Amino acid sequence: MLRRFLIHQRAIAKPGLRHVRPFTTCGTLQEKPLPPRLKLVETELEESFLKGSGPGGQKINKTSSAVQLKHVPTGIVVKSQETRSRQQNRKLARLILAEKLDHMEKGNESRTSIKTERARVKKASASKKTRRKYKKLAEEDGKDDASQESADEVESELNDARSSPTAFETQNEPSKP
Amino acid sequence: MPRLAPSLLRQARAIDVLLPPLLPACRDLRSAENELRWLKDHAIKTGRQCGLAHSDASLKRLVARRARGEPIQYILGTEYFGDLELKCQPGVLIPRQETAASVTHLAQQLSKKRKGRPSDLHILDLCSGSGCIPLLFHHEFYAQPGNEHCKLHMVGADISVQALELARRNQKSQIAAQSKRVTAQTTSLAAMRFLHADVLLSEAANAIHAPIGVVEALQQLTNTRPTPAYEVLISNPPYISSQAFRTTTARSVRNFEPKLALVPDNPSSAPSALDGDVFYPRLLALADQLRTEIILFEVADIDQAQRVATLLARQSTWRTVEIWRDEPGATSDEADHVLLDGGESVPVRGAGNGRSVFAYRGAAAAWLQ
Repeated sequence: MLRRFLIHQRAIAKPGLRHVRPFTTCGTLQEKPLPPRLKLVETELEESFLKGSGPGGQKINKTSSAVQLKHVPTGIVVKSQETRSRQQNRKLARLILAEKLDHMEKGNESRTSIKTERARVKKASASKKTRRKYKKLAEEDGKDDASQESADEVESELNDARSSPTAFETQNEPSKP
Repeated sequence: MPRLAPSLLRQARAIDVLLPPLLPACRDLRSAENELRWLKDHAIKTGRQCGLAHSDASLKRLVARRARGEPIQYILGTEYFGDLELKCQPGVLIPRQETAASVTHLAQQLSKKRKGRPSDLHILDLCSGSGCIPLLFHHEFYAQPGNEHCKLHMVGADISVQALELARRNQKSQIAAQSKRVTAQTTSLAAMRFLHADVLLSEAANAIHAPIGVVEALQQLTNTRPTPAYEVLISNPPYISSQAFRTTTARSVRNFEPKLALVPDNPSSAPSALDGDVFYPRLLALADQLRTEIILFEVADIDQAQRVATLLARQSTWRTVEIWRDEPGATSDEADHVLLDGGESVPVRGAGNGRSVFAYRGAAAAWLQ
């Protein structure tokens, strides 16, 4: 039984299987898949490797692995010199350019915008939850000194909260007498 | 070398106190920033391996070494050569980007037409150094579609024992990166050999003590008397003239890279501007002995390329001779032909400085054209 449940959970976790019916009654939240990455057309790109002039080959030891990429139809130029590998820089430059073009084309509907928006929403809801939690804690703290039972509860909850000390401190400070 | 502007040094210091010492070696802020970032990553990585929490002291040591002009590849211990990350060590020449471009282009040329191409290709790389050329050629050749079943028999040869040892280590790490499935690709890589041989030693010489000549070394390898045939001969020999070594060669190259790999030993009394050409006649003699059909030799500049092309034209066995620039696949506005002393016209491909000479003859002409 447990094994069946685990297998089911794993199937749900896969992003491709959207139509799997959850075994449990509390529905799992299916995230909408992100729009696909923009595909660049290689013929529309002008690639150049930036390096100094002068002799090359054995005579000098160039360390420049920078790659500059120009998208001819729009005239956008991006540059990547992040890594020592020119091949990796070429890939990075293409990634950056694709993101820029995607953003230009679709604005807020672009892949990167959706991604950052989702991250923002997630963070906001998480902080909302913590805020609610500590508000509740503070209320309980204020109203009862008599009930030992609930104080114990609070204590255990406080211990849990210590794993995120910053949130705990900032949220709890004002309520202290 | 032009003086660095004090404003530049001030600007560098504002970003990071470790940047100004790097500027004299790197010359501009951008590359100094890049190199500092790579040195930092390296210091953190090696520090972690030794279990150290702080890497500041080791980073300072690395920066000091780079500030003295030591090539960053020797400090970090690796260099990217095309797609491959190869090991580097002092005493062996650091692979150059331009060589990677030529080798990649050659692999593409050899894969254009498969009809008529032998199913086994024998490739010899003379003066192999870190082993970069055969390793990258192997990688690029099998990256081309349709080459899965073609077998490569590759041999590298070098006079330096240190270089051979490094080449074998590089081969080992490439083998480790391959998939475990047995294919023509993996067997070709495992069968790659690096031999100790002296290119300039002709057969007439007394070959009792090592290093022996290239032909003897190859005969010993295959254990056959008639010299085995190698269809493809690649070489990036020492080609800097003693004059150019004094004048146009970068200081960090002169002070830190092995002169053995840069300037040929000059037994004859050639003028010091032309004594960088010593290897090419010898390479061509070996090409005849080994029944080579395709050659790719790296050269210093367009002038040396023309001198080598003239040597090839004089042999009159070569069907096609081409000069390749730094990026042979690119298009450029520069002249697409040069005239040799004999009046022959030789095509020049790509963009950048004259970098290599490519030629083919015999049966190879059928599947290369």
